[in-house]
Amino acid sequence: MNQFITAVLTSLSTGAIYALMSIALVLVWRSTRVINFAQAGQAIFTTYIGYEVTIRSGSYWVGLISAILSGALLGAGIDRFFMRPIFKRVTSGPIVMIAPVVATLALLGIIQAIIGFIWGLNYQTIQAPVSTDGLKIFGSIIAFSPFNLMVLIAVTLSMILLTIVFQKTNIGLALRASAYAPEVSKLSGIRVDAVRTLGWALAGAAGGLAGMLYIPGSYLYPNAMDVLLVFGFIAAVIGGLDSLFGAVAGAMILGFAVNFSATYISYKLVFPTAFVILILVLLIKPSGVFSGKKGRKD
Amino acid sequence: MLKFDTSRKRLFGFLFLGWILLILSDRIGELRQYQGAFVAMYALAIASIILLTGYSGQLSLGHSALMAVGAYAGALSINNLKLHPAIALVIAALIAGLFGLLLGYAAARLSGPYLAGTTLALAVSLPTIANQFPILGGEQGLIFDIGVPPARLGEDFSLYQWFFWISSLTALIMIWLLVNLISTRYGREFRALRDNPIAAQLSGINIGRKKAVAFSLSAGIAGLAGGLLVMLISGVSPSAFPLSLSFLLLAGAVVTGVYSLKGVILGALVLVAIPEIAESVVSRIGGSEGFVTSLPGFMVSALLILTVLFAPSGPGHLLHHKKHLKH
Amino acid sequence: MIRNTRMKRLSIASVAVTVGALVFSSLPAQAADPGVTSREIKLGYSGPLTGSAGLVYGKLPGAMKAYFDHINAKGGVNGRKIKLVSRDDKYLPTLAATQTTNLVLNDKVFALVGALGTATHSKAYVAASLAKKNVPDLFVNTGFSGFANKGKYPTTFTILPSYAMEAKIMAKFIKDTPTLAPQASFLIAQDDEFGVDGVNGFKLAGHKFAAAPTLYPQGGLSAALAEGALTKLSAVPGKPVLVLFGTTDTTATILKAAEKLSLVSKFTWIAGSVGGDANTLLALGVKPATINGALAASFFPDAKDATDPYVKAFMKINTKYNKGVTFDNVVLQGMNSAMLTVQALRAAGKNLTRAGLIKAIETKGANFASAGLVPLNYSATSRVGYNGYWFGQLNEKGELKPFGGKLSVYTTDSSSNTAPTASSYERKPVPKNGVPRNS
Repeated sequence: MNQFITAVLTSLSTGAIYALMSIALVLVWRSTRVINFAQAGQAIFTTYIGYEVTIRSGSYWVGLISAILSGALLGAGIDRFFMRPIFKRVTSGPIVMIAPVVATLALLGIIQAIIGFIWGLNYQTIQAPVSTDGLKIFGSIIAFSPFNLMVLIAVTLSMILLTIVFQKTNIGLALRASAYAPEVSKLSGIRVDAVRTLGWALAGAAGGLAGMLYIPGSYLYPNAMDVLLVFGFIAAVIGGLDSLFGAVAGAMILGFAVNFSATYISYKLVFPTAFVILILVLLIKPSGVFSGKKGRKD
Repeated sequence: MLKFDTSRKRLFGFLFLGWILLILSDRIGELRQYQGAFVAMYALAIASIILLTGYSGQLSLGHSALMAVGAYAGALSINNLKLHPAIALVIAALIAGLFGLLLGYAAARLSGPYLAGTTLALAVSLPTIANQFPILGGEQGLIFDIGVPPARLGEDFSLYQWFFWISSLTALIMIWLLVNLISTRYGREFRALRDNPIAAQLSGINIGRKKAVAFSLSAGIAGLAGGLLVMLISGVSPSAFPLSLSFLLLAGAVVTGVYSLKGVILGALVLVAIPEIAESVVSRIGGSEGFVTSLPGFMVSALLILTVLFAPSGPGHLLHHKKHLKH
Repeated sequence: MIRNTRMKRLSIASVAVTVGALVFSSLPAQAADPGVTSREIKLGYSGPLTGSAGLVYGKLPGAMKAYFDHINAKGGVNGRKIKLVSRDDKYLPTLAATQTTNLVLNDKVFALVGALGTATHSKAYVAASLAKKNVPDLFVNTGFSGFANKGKYPTTFTILPSYAMEAKIMAKFIKDTPTLAPQASFLIAQDDEFGVDGVNGFKLAGHKFAAAPTLYPQGGLSAALAEGALTKLSAVPGKPVLVLFGTTDTTATILKAAEKLSLVSKFTWIAGSVGGDANTLLALGVKPATINGALAASFFPDAKDATDPYVKAFMKINTKYNKGVTFDNVVLQGMNSAMLTVQALRAAGKNLTRAGLIKAIETKGANFASAGLVPLNYSATSRVGYNGYWFGQLNEKGELKPFGGKLSVYTTDSSSNTAPTASSYERKPVPKNGVPRNS
């Protein structure tokens, strides 16, 4: 029973982190139709900034805010000064099809190399701002700490914030419109370019937040979030790539599947489980479990 | 008539290249022989990417995993079935091709980023599966020993020259076959698939099957390259096929000019040369440990971006283009 | 037609590039063994300087270099200065193979020293033709017992006791300690040579774990999974013994999970020598109170024990030649290997050859001065370095103190099921100023 509760709780904490990464991927996908492989690099880079600020200011919270802000800035900058020139220059030939993937992968390599140049490759740690000791419930200690609670709250809050932005504001309307019908949006006076950059900025901010929430429970090194990128992608696919709600739900499904198969069958099953789920979703319902829309051949 | 002529010329071209490499192999030192063998292996692996991406319009980040499939199949054939290494390499290609066919049917339903992400997940998860089966030797892996070079080649004939011969010969034959294949109706169909899938479908090409076949062919070649790779490092284990290998191959293909098989050697040379260039840069200007180890990755990535921006069809195309403008 | 000529032009261009890239080649010198001149001996190291493995072992080549610098300042070995070339293999087999080949063919080193990593070095050994070229492969830093196989690795000398030996001695320790013997015991191990060799060792010792070992792939145990694993074991009554065989970062992850679940005092912790590096555990954020009382096996004196004459001598060298690096077990290990190397080079005489160096270790290696508290076992037939352990208990500062206050050293082998035996080995005194004078 105890083991079951632990599995549920750790699945929740794991899923919450996956959710932020998959949301970041979805935001970029919606605005640009690109899977941003550099997301792992952006997130870890801004986490390094958060780490540096945390050390210098002595406050995790200042570090957290710097990570989120620098994440947004970096995301916007990448769209403006990197992705846009590439889309502009590369307009014909089969390279068009792979250029975004190649460009974001190369960007990932560059960012990670730059981290190596600046901070070196040693493992660092970020101290969690609140206790990481498990909470005591009904006399027994469970695998859920105030920090885990903070992660869940932070992720939920950012979901709510995003939902409000998307559903209740003009910017949100523009974001949605330019995702589904860029040409029409352009004609109707939406500044598609600016909206696109906003999508990248939001994604970058989500990445910075993800890093600052994930790294205290792990270690900080240039490749620390590579695996999260893969899990984030799988979660986004489960959710349908276009849907923010789907991304979160997909992340939770993945979090539970991975933790339960590892706990109850074998620790060697983490990656195989995730991969099998991905293949199953793609074979059975390629448009994602949470999307009723058309297939994904665009 | 003309076509026959072309293919004969091509054959002579490859024979000539082979002859040059043969002569070269006696003149260069062991280190260059070893590096040359790596160049040939990478050239083959890059060719498999180009066949897939350049000619059938599919993108794979999972070729490191496909190389692993071939490598393990080859190692098992030598160690457990006691087969001749040459046959083991053929089996490596066949098994990887078969695996690629299965995967190809799933992959054919996916486009661009979905395929990239899925193959990425494959590259991450497949090597860890190797740990599941004791017959695959766990993290330590299996030995891959092709034995010493035949005695009749002489006392001075080094293992590296032997590697160089095997790698180069395999790469030459396979790339020659590939070049011939893509100049047939099959190749034209592949290209049609890439350039305009809808038109291709209308003209009666079964897209799904074609894509799966292309994937399978590409996987087979990758498997063969995987066999060569583990020959060169004398053993196979999961960590020999990191995700970074997939990235490296894609980089090599893009630098080569992703839609033509011409100049795969160039892409492969770049991959082998970059660590050396980085090393000489470091020995000149020095730098912290983080700088030293991060530099090669930085150079590959930067080269990739520059290629996409300034020579999207590869350096060869760029030269041609420039010349064209002058006229 | 146009396409074709263009292609021809390109393939000719490719050939030209190939030729261009290959002209720098030079014929290898055939006369004397490479890497030795009258003024210099060049040695090579290939191992992880970065990443999870580099985290702990990245300090190794620096420590060796510091010791060699010390020797060079005192005149070198037979008038020759020692130069160490180190290359990063990132713990990847392909890089290990190419880097080691580079050391031999490009840097033209005389011998390799301290190579680290089992899956990597076992391949690099063959790929770099070390056997055929008779390149001495000194003091390989892995606990994989296979490297002691002289038929397969004819030029290799191991230094660390094998994981199997460690497991056998752990099993004996558990059996002989009245507080531990009746408790259920469990193994959480990395699913590679640590685990496999270790599991075999426990099997040889006839040790029965209360459940099948929990194996996880390298780097595959996240905090969440570690919490799950510990929760499962927390249901076991009493104070179960938990043996951890894995890298330091994973060991830290498990210990932190125990902190979170308040299970630190629920178990008796035994950390394997690889993952039990107290300094790194503390640096990775494990609380001092957590490692306090944990059991660990070692064959060295405690690196924090400045009263130990070897540690004292090495600390002095570290301060002078390895500035800014904390003296810990890995630095101790590196300096000790370097000191053994110097003794081997001295023993091989003025007319230094690869064959001579190997012979020298075979005939005189067992008598080299070494910091280890267990004997070295080099002989014409044995390539095994240390073959035993003593058990200690960590305190809050990360110092390892002999268990029960009395140092008891056990020695054993990797493959038989005979029980480990108590050893009465007495170390040689540390060479004066840390400079060996053997011949």
